Formats: sequence, C-alpha cells, structure tokens
Amino acid sequence: MSYYDVDAILTDGEKVPCRFELDVPYLGHLDNSNGLKPGSRLALPLWLAEMFALASAGEDSKPPLTLTLPPCLSEQVQAALKADPRAVALRDQSAYFYGVAVRMLDLFDERELSAILRRTFVVRAADVGLHARKAEESGLGGQGEEFLRGLDEWERRLFRRGHEGVRGAKEWTDNVKKS
Amino acid sequence: MDIDDILREVDPASHGIPLETRDLQALTRLWVAERSAPELLNWPADGLFERVNSKIKSQIEKIEDMTGDMDPKTNFALIVIQTELERYKFLVRSYLRARIAKIDKYTLHYLSTEELRQRLSPTELAYATRHQALLHNHYLSSFLSSFPQRLQNLNDTAGNVSMIDSPDLDTAVFIRLLRDKDVFGRGTDVDTILPAASGDILILRWSSAKDLVEHGDAELV
Amino acid sequence: MYGDSGIKLVQHAKRTQNLAHLPPYQTELVRAVTREVRDLNKDVDDLLEPFQGSFDPSEDQAVAYTLLVNHISMRRNKRCLLAYHRTRTDKLEELVWNGADVVDLSGQQVRDGSSRNSTGLTSGDGSTSSLSPQEEDYVRQYGDLLAAYKGQWTDIDLTGSLEPPRDLFIDVRVLKDAGEIQTEYGAITLTKNSQFYVRQGDVERLIAQGYLQKLS
Repeated sequence: MSYYDVDAILTDGEKVPCRFELDVPYLGHLDNSNGLKPGSRLALPLWLAEMFALASAGEDSKPPLTLTLPPCLSEQVQAALKADPRAVALRDQSAYFYGVAVRMLDLFDERELSAILRRTFVVRAADVGLHARKAEESGLGGQGEEFLRGLDEWERRLFRRGHEGVRGAKEWTDNVKKS
Repeated sequence: MDIDDILREVDPASHGIPLETRDLQALTRLWVAERSAPELLNWPADGLFERVNSKIKSQIEKIEDMTGDMDPKTNFALIVIQTELERYKFLVRSYLRARIAKIDKYTLHYLSTEELRQRLSPTELAYATRHQALLHNHYLSSFLSSFPQRLQNLNDTAGNVSMIDSPDLDTAVFIRLLRDKDVFGRGTDVDTILPAASGDILILRWSSAKDLVEHGDAELV
Repeated sequence: MYGDSGIKLVQHAKRTQNLAHLPPYQTELVRAVTREVRDLNKDVDDLLEPFQGSFDPSEDQAVAYTLLVNHISMRRNKRCLLAYHRTRTDKLEELVWNGADVVDLSGQQVRDGSSRNSTGLTSGDGSTSSLSPQEEDYVRQYGDLLAAYKGQWTDIDLTGSLEPPRDLFIDVRVLKDAGEIQTEYGAITLTKNSQFYVRQGDVERLIAQGYLQKLS
C-alpha cells in the first residue's frame, strides 16, 4: 500500500462499528459525548479503529475496543452475494468495497467470507471484462451505465484497464491494416 | 527491420558487427527492458550513452553540412539520415523518460541506499536529489513547518504504512528465454516450475524473472 | 471529528486526478487540517504535563489511549495533507513537461486568463490563479530543474513526442497565431488558419501547446 495513494487513504476513511471496553473520559469528542464508557458504541474510520484493536497498554490488558464487520459485509450482503454476485450493486454498499473487505480480513479470520468475496470478484470480473469490450464496440448504452454505477473502485479500475486494452488493441490492428 | 529483427541479431557471436550497430542494438534492448520492468534498471556503465550522444551530434553536423546542397542525390541521403536521426533521438528520449517517470514516482526509495543510488546516472542522481529537496521545501512552506518537529520527516517507516513508496516487484512481466531453462515462478496459491526452451515467451512476476534477466537467461519483451 | 477535514482534502485530490485542469487550491481546508494537528499536539503536551516526563502507559490506560488517538490523528492528517499536495505537484510537473509557460504564469493568468486556459492552470473563469503562492514558486523552481536536466541532453529534446516517429514531414493547420519559427529550411510565419508541410521535429512543441493541429 502506498503512502501517497489517494484511494488507499479514502479506503482507510471508511467507518467500522466498534464497541468500547474501557472508560476513557478524554475521548468524548469521538462520539460527541462526555467521555467513552465501557459498552459505548460508535463508528470509527478504519485508520483509527485498526490501531485501537491492535493496541493494548499493558501486558495482560485487553484491547480497548472490539470491532464488528461493517454493514457492507453484513450477513444479508453475504447471503445476497452467495445467491448471485452480479445482482448486488457493490457501490451502494461501499465505494471501496473490496479495499475495506481486504482490510477487515487482515483483522478477522473469516474463511467463509473470504471464499464468498473471492468468488464474487471472479464472477463479476468476467462481467466487467465483457462490458469493457462492449463499451468499445457500441458505446455505453443505458444498461452499461447502470452496470458501471454498481461497480466499486477496484472494479472501476479493472473496467478502465480493460477498456484501454481493447481500444489499444483495436488501434494497433487498424494501424497494421493501414500500413 | 523491426525490433524483433534487431533483437534476434543480438547474440554472443556478435564479432564482426561494427560497434555502432552493436550500440544501437544495446540501446534498443535497454529501452525495451526499461519500459517493461516495474523498477529502475541499472544505468549502463560502459559509456554507451557517451557514444550514442556523440553519434547523434555528428549526424546533426552532417545534416547541417548537407543542407543547402541542392543535388537531388544528396537530398535523398539527407532524408534517410534525418529519419535515422529521429529514430535514434526517439529511442534515447523514450528511454530517459521511462527512467525519469520511475525516479519521480519513487524518489526517496531510489535515494535511500547506496546500492539503489548506483542505478542512476550522475545526472539523474542530481535531478532526483534536487527534486526531492524542492518537494520537501514546498511541503514545509505550505504546511509542514508548523507541525511539531518530530512530525516533519518525509521518510518515516514506522506506523503501518511506510512513507517511502517503493515499486511493486510482483508486477507481471513478459520475458523471452535466451536459453533452455527450468523457470521457477511464485504464485498466490501455488508456485510452479516450468521447463522452457530458448525463444519461449512467458509471463510471470518480475520478482521471479529478475534473476533470469540479470544472468542473461532471458530478456524482457 | 478529527480527520474529517483531511478526508475532504483527499476527496479534492481524487477529483483533481480525473480533471484536465488544476482546480483552485483549498487554502481554507489546508489551514483547518494544519490547525487540527497543532491542537492535537497541544492536547498531547497538556496531557503529559502533570507526569513530568515519567508517564507509564500501563498505569493510566485512559491517558495512554488518548495519546494514541491524538498521535495517529496527527499522522493521519499529515498523510492527507501530503497526498493532497503531492497530487497537485504531480499535475503541475506534468504541465511543466508539456511546456506550460512557467516564467510569467502567475502575472499573465490574472490579466489574460481566458486565452491561457489551454495550459490548464486557471480555474473556470480564469480570473484568479488556482495555484497557491507556494505552488507558483514550486512550478518556477521545477521548471528550472527540468531545464537544467534537459540541458544535459540538448540534442534529444527530452520533452519531445513520445510517439515513435513515423513521418519526417507532416501537414499541420495553424489554430492560433504563433509568429515566426526557424526551421532548417528557413523561416515560416504561422498565421491562423494557414496550412504547412513541415518537419515534425520542428513543430512538436507548438502542437503540444495547442498552436498547431496535426492533419492526418
């Protein structure tokens, strides 16, 4: 991951639900209260939540908070993805869906989620490739735009690459024909 | 003649080929390799660019001498020389620009160790050093100088993201085998060993290809 | 919350990446994020003050975690600021490579904004500079640096076309008056709407700057 990478920074800004386990009076500003109490629930951006979850101040003290999976990776979303990966508009879940998921999988040992996401990416990637070629041949119609709207950032990048590739190949063959 | 012809002609049995031709071949290979590799490759140490530069100079002088001569025969030769010159200039330019793009992207990385600095030409080293200084100054005058002292560094590697960006050595590259060889390639789930013959073209990670290329077992395409 | 202004700045950077021109510098946001860092740092100092340099994290976890939050929030803001500025300097450098006029950039922009839009350095209406004063300095200095580097390769023209050469001579149409240029075949005066058959190497610069259009 690159320090200056704008997408990485924005991924890091996505929020994750947390539950506080400690009494920290000075941190009320995090949820606009007079201080965090054990059991306080709040959503923190990944960059902060991650550091917290991994930190512990003493040798036998427990982490100050526990994380739960964000809504974009909820049971319902997982079930929908299992049923048909193509039917879910990932972007509505999170613009940085896969980025967030990868970060969460670094923190949670979730074999099944990992398998679902892998299959989702592979199945959808084939579709992205197909649309990238179609977009070059016939332009983006209403359906194509609809499709693009549901893609997360990784998939958009894949689409762009695919589209450039198809166009590059086309330009090249055109040039060969000419000369 | 296209690049493939040029590359095919380059083999160890290059005796008898004039130095100038060999230089053009070497330049072409460097250019192809630099454009394919995800990290900066070594600047050639054998004076190649000094020779290429003086060759370009002498061609320009030749053209200047020949312009003004209205003999149609000279005129045709002039166009040939000019075309050759443009191609030469393009190769050098494109090669240098590919390098500068990498240096600009990962400046601190290439300046961080002596071994990495060695890859740059003296001019590139001067450029990179100055560029980094300009950037640091720009950040300082825009906001960084009002930060607490210990937060003003640009090369912290503590924390979960290093401030020094470095190239991704696992980027995929294409290589052409120059001799028969069992090629070892790392993968995400499994690694493989693939028996390959001279002339075969493979796609694999640069981190797996690098040794082959450096030992002359394969070349980037 | 801490870090919110930083995110806004990075969202600006994200938009900037996809734009052909450089949008106005976010002076206020940069100031806000910088101020946040100073406030956080002051909080850290205040929190540590009573301990007189002998703070033990396991003794007081509430203070320890507060320090941690403040510390990573500062680092986060620093990263946002750097990414924002870096995105812009990348863009500025690209403009310098493409031959944007660096010497009188700021002055001319104010007086003559509309016609300078092709360099991509002005905001929508072109009436004010979209660069911060520091960025104007940077562009000038980077321009000097590039000139010095190019000077080592005078015969190559490093900023020339990266398309492989096909034709030595090309047809061009003049889009904007560009005055007289010197070629090996004598001087040509480029007046608007005229057409010429010229050596590609002589006019690449002018094509990149939008004075000439290459006809195929």
